[in-house]
Amino acid sequence: MVDFIFIGLSIMAIAGAIAMIIYKNPMYSALGVLISMLSVAGMFALLNATFLFLVQIIVYAGAIMTLILFILMFLNINDEDLPAEPKKFKLIALGAAVMIPLNVLILSAVSKLPEKDLSITETDFGDIKPIGIELFDNWLVAFELISILLLIALLGSVVLAKKRKSKIKKQGE
Amino acid sequence: MISLTSYAFVSMMLFSIGVIGVIARRNIFVIYMSIEMMLNGVNLFLVTFARYHFNMDPQIVSIMVIAIAAAEAAVFLSVIILLYRSRKSLDTDIFTILSQGEKS
Repeated sequence: MVDFIFIGLSIMAIAGAIAMIIYKNPMYSALGVLISMLSVAGMFALLNATFLFLVQIIVYAGAIMTLILFILMFLNINDEDLPAEPKKFKLIALGAAVMIPLNVLILSAVSKLPEKDLSITETDFGDIKPIGIELFDNWLVAFELISILLLIALLGSVVLAKKRKSKIKKQGE
Repeated sequence: MISLTSYAFVSMMLFSIGVIGVIARRNIFVIYMSIEMMLNGVNLFLVTFARYHFNMDPQIVSIMVIAIAAAEAAVFLSVIILLYRSRKSLDTDIFTILSQGEKS
């Protein structure tokens, strides 16, 4: 049963990612990424990471992708504004030619590792409480730095998005 | 039973498709989503090895990665809005004001 769920999730994840690079319209690409991220969240649940499953759905699928879709609809992009990509499939083939040897290398290295049971356990591995204890015991400095980073990103986006006279020259002037 | 290699295969596929998207596409939104896809692949790899070694440190690292992706989303999207307002285009090839100043 779990095997079939995993196979379905992996097919959906990879199909969503392929849809992202194939479609010309960024709206379809964003929906493909959304499907892919939800499938990855399901795989987190299969790997016993319940807290990360929630965080993936709330932060990635809920916040980031919704923000991207909102911006896409807000900008109201016409088809003629989209960049022409005449060499897209040629470049995809080139990128695949670069990435396939790396994939083969890493997968052959991983397949040499001893097999362990990766099924769902009954312990509290990956729950909120052990994650929190781990986070505040061993990763406190990183946690504080992340909070400062988020604050700086907030300030930066407010400063960037502020209404002001643009110093960037408009095209054709 | 699902093996370690199948999880590694899925995460490497996501990462590779992200790299290919950054190489092949010129739409800046798709490039941003490709970067997110690469981060997702790395997250899946980390969580797989967290389960494999029964250790929670990689899960903390992937929480950090998700937080950085959220911070990146805010800044990146406001930069995209600024560039789209001034240039009326999403093509990455014309965003060269840092390197070429007066030209274009």
